[in-house]
Amino acid sequence: MTGFLIRRILQAIIVVIGVTIIAFILQNLIATGPALAHTIIGPRATSQQIHEFIATYGLNQPMPVQYWHFLWQLLHGNLGYSFKENQSVDAILGQQLPKDVVLVGSSLVLSLLIAIPLGIAQAVRRNRLVDHVGTGLSFLLYSMPTYWLSLLLIAAFSVSLQWLPAEAPQGTNVGQILADPAGLVLPIASLTLVNYALFSRYMRSSAIENLAQDYIRTARAKGLSERYLLARHLLRNSLIPVTTMVGLSLPGILTAGLVTEYVFNFPGIGLTFFNAAVTSDYPVELGIAVLVGLVTVAGNVLADIGYAVLDPRVRYE
Amino acid sequence: MAPVLEITDLRTEIRLRTSTVHAVDGVSLTVQAGETVGLVGESGCGKTTIGLSAIRLLPPGGHITGGSIKINGTEIVGLPDARMRQIRGGDVGMIFQDPMTSLNPTMPIGEQIAETVRVHKRVSHRAAVDRAVEVLDLVGMPRPRERLGDFPHQLSGGLRQRVMIAMALACEPSVLIADEPTTAVDVTIQAQILGLLDRLKSELSTAMLLISHDMGVIAGRADRVAVMYAGRVVEQAETVEFFDHIRHPYAEALLASIPQPGQDSQRALYSIPGNPPDLSNPPAACRFAPRCRYATDRCRTEDPRLEQDAAAHGYACFHPVPADDVRPEAAGLRLAAQARLRETRRTDADDLILDARNLVKEYPITAGLLQRTIGSVKAVSDVSFGIRRGETFGLVGESGCGKTTIGRLLVGLERLTGGQIVFNGADISALATRSRPAHGGGPDDPAQAGSRRRQISRLRRDLQLMFQDPYSSLDPRMRVGTILREPLVIQGIGSRREQDQRVAAMLTEVGLQPAAADRYPHEFSGGQRQRIGLARALMLDPKFLIADEPVSALDVSIRSQILNLMRDLQDRHNLTYLIISHDLAVVRYMADRIGVVYLGKLVESGPADTVYSTPAHPYTAALISAIPSPDPHSERGRNRTQVRGELPSAVNPPSGCRFRTRCAIAEEICAEVEPPVHSFGVDHYASCHFPLQRPVPPAGTDGALVRTQQDPIADRPPASGRLVPDTTGDAVAGQ
Ligand SMILES: Nc1ncnc2c1ncn2[C@@H]1O[C@H](COP(=O)(O)OP(=O)(O)O)[C@@H](O)[C@H]1O
Ligand code: SF4
Ligand code: SF4
Ligand SMILES: [Mg+2]
Repeated sequence: MTGFLIRRILQAIIVVIGVTIIAFILQNLIATGPALAHTIIGPRATSQQIHEFIATYGLNQPMPVQYWHFLWQLLHGNLGYSFKENQSVDAILGQQLPKDVVLVGSSLVLSLLIAIPLGIAQAVRRNRLVDHVGTGLSFLLYSMPTYWLSLLLIAAFSVSLQWLPAEAPQGTNVGQILADPAGLVLPIASLTLVNYALFSRYMRSSAIENLAQDYIRTARAKGLSERYLLARHLLRNSLIPVTTMVGLSLPGILTAGLVTEYVFNFPGIGLTFFNAAVTSDYPVELGIAVLVGLVTVAGNVLADIGYAVLDPRVRYE
Repeated sequence: MAPVLEITDLRTEIRLRTSTVHAVDGVSLTVQAGETVGLVGESGCGKTTIGLSAIRLLPPGGHITGGSIKINGTEIVGLPDARMRQIRGGDVGMIFQDPMTSLNPTMPIGEQIAETVRVHKRVSHRAAVDRAVEVLDLVGMPRPRERLGDFPHQLSGGLRQRVMIAMALACEPSVLIADEPTTAVDVTIQAQILGLLDRLKSELSTAMLLISHDMGVIAGRADRVAVMYAGRVVEQAETVEFFDHIRHPYAEALLASIPQPGQDSQRALYSIPGNPPDLSNPPAACRFAPRCRYATDRCRTEDPRLEQDAAAHGYACFHPVPADDVRPEAAGLRLAAQARLRETRRTDADDLILDARNLVKEYPITAGLLQRTIGSVKAVSDVSFGIRRGETFGLVGESGCGKTTIGRLLVGLERLTGGQIVFNGADISALATRSRPAHGGGPDDPAQAGSRRRQISRLRRDLQLMFQDPYSSLDPRMRVGTILREPLVIQGIGSRREQDQRVAAMLTEVGLQPAAADRYPHEFSGGQRQRIGLARALMLDPKFLIADEPVSALDVSIRSQILNLMRDLQDRHNLTYLIISHDLAVVRYMADRIGVVYLGKLVESGPADTVYSTPAHPYTAALISAIPSPDPHSERGRNRTQVRGELPSAVNPPSGCRFRTRCAIAEEICAEVEPPVHSFGVDHYASCHFPLQRPVPPAGTDGALVRTQQDPIADRPPASGRLVPDTTGDAVAGQ
């Protein structure tokens, strides 16, 4: 177990270093030094202001030194200070992250709650109506870009039917967001549909594969009812590959979340990232890159844990 | 007394997209309480479909289209699903072939047994668990209560099959259907499992339908026999009556194509030509006619019905085998009499084509972050043998004993951990050993090393391996011609035209049409694929061929075709064979000399007939006694010297003699001192402290196994009297 943990921590370090190096290089390719300062402060910046800006953020140092400085701060849990907002990056992320947990987390749970039973139902009634409808639906959703799906939902439920607001609730903390549940429906729904499309394909094929296994035949030969058999024998075994897949696609799910946030103007990490990119707020961009890197590793760990919990044959050392 | 299971004129079809397989076509069978009916036939003849019809769990597309199945008088064809579920697991217990895949891998075994009880008996969870403990105990699971939480992968193959049996018996069914219950386990475990089933059947007076492809299993365990061919029962009788007076030509031919204990290994085996008919379009005539030696025009136009004679012996044939041939081997002998005698090969004990000296292979087990080596699997531990030019040497042993690893070491597919392989007088271990100069000495200059490497690879051309599984060893995307040409292309031999000619010639030689070169492997049957495998191994005209389980994936009637072909090719090309198999009967029939391997050690070696008739090592004796022979007389009267338990782990092999944990006559010294090699006559060696015969000083020198070690107890009397027969037929698995 300790060996497993050490491996995963090493992996996290490598991923974070890799992601930030790439981000660093890209940022330096776009603009550095005075050019960057101009972008941030504005066209009418005085040379005095520019000088101060460069000195404050250490932009006059060579790139490796800057990077080393960044890493050193990161080691102390300090992601730096935003160019634009009068806040530390830690504070910004700390404020936005819980709202994303609400958005991404609830849609993740919802999509699994739909995809698992539906996937099993499709497998059991393979090539029958339920299956064809399910397959058609998930292919349709899967082939649709996230923002396009979001726009369609807005067009249907906000513009035409006028049932639901097109904009997500605004607020700085989770409580304020939850105070306006109607505004949450469309963002969560669109993210849920995107995830559902992915998961239900996996769930269906995993369930089909397991239904053909000998142990299912044995369970039937014992006289178990079909419902009991699906719940007690098929479910756990079919979930094994799906768990891994969900864990590994966590970064992708997060990315879809970023797009959704932008479309619905949801005040979360995604919107923050988008704004930071527009305004060249490098420290915020880097902070979010670190976050995505960590989520990737966390997804891997969750996949491993889920796998080990479901499958007694797996043990980590 | 009404039969417990009564099948009348059953017809079962499997509807596929483009065709309908008539898997069972008018079969009638009855099984009484306390009776075992053996259903025997080759794969695909419909045995499993009958079993699955009886619990109405047919594969997708499967339908019962006619006839009736009564269980305890209840007609189950058309029975509502809810009632059917009560019968499954309640009245009928089912035992499937492969205990690994047939148990749920993510559910503890206790729960898998208890849930059956809960479903059928409406008892509390506690009572169901208690019942699980009870049946586990009944099937010989040691300390059952402690094992309830185990998952299937934590159990050995034999124990898993016991769990499967416990599950089937949990609700005291009146019918037990065992579909190839021992096909997936080793022969020593097979003997244990069959003994167990036998005991349980009589104790609980269950009606048992025992399905097997193995005539030997049926002869020893069934009260009545039904032989199936192409979806029909072709012969049916009480077991002794059946084996004494076989009437149907198919049953006769099937029996004659198995190498039997008394088989004269100089005679070719009888082999049934051709393949079984396609069941999606069965002929409206005798289905065996295209392969039958006695077929007449009537057989080819009319469909014989299953007739009963006075002795209640039924057979579906117009020209049955005369009933006065009373000896069980009669069939084999009569058919074999026509088979050609092969000449005895002369081999020279000093002319070794291959000399394996002290072979060692260990696979390291690593763990942790730094992949530290924490132990090793001792797959092959100090094995030595010599193979003479022109002979067939057979290696036998249970699965996991290291046979296959030895074969792979010899052809260089695995690197040696230690030891030396001399082939045709030259040391070829260099390529098989990591960073070790071939002839000792320091690191020599690269040019020389390179040329020796080439030389060794040329030598290796003479040493070919024929792969085990005809289904997975041929690349499905390559045409047969390309597969066969490949070795020539790699070695750069001949022009394209010459290569094609060689392919055509080789195909003809293994009994296929040259046109086969243009087709893909999946278009061929298992036996044909094995012929292709043989052709591929022979493309480079090797002198030595290693065949790992050459026939174990094949049906009985196809097996003898391949074995005969292998012998023909040996005679024609002066080949030397190393045949590796778990099947002692096959090895004995094919080999001049045999080596018996147990847990990485060669425990006995000697001339095939000598080892088979007078084994010196207790393991060899037990292995021989575990082979079921298709003769009810010898099978029933037999005192089985069973091997207890199962093969221990090769990570921590037992100290001293590795067989001691399962040996019936082990004593203290066996755990302390590794037994020395004794000689028991010409070429016959075994390593045991208490061999079954008195050792004699070595007469000739084999140079392979014999060591000049003096053993203090070599003069003790033979220990055969102390081999205690296990009459319960059900030794409990030890640890
Ligand atoms: N799931 C299936 N799909 C299609 N054909 C099948 C299936 N199972 C069995 N069959 C066919 O039914 C026939 C009988 O098969 P089976 O009952 O399994 O024979 P056995 O048990 O004697 O080997 C064979 O021709 C086989 O190919
Ligand atoms: S009926 Fe004719 S073809 Fe069929 S088994 Fe008898 S003799 Fe052979
Ligand atoms: S040495 Fe001992 S344990 Fe080993 S086979 Fe001989 S008697 Fe049995
Ligand atoms: Mg079968």
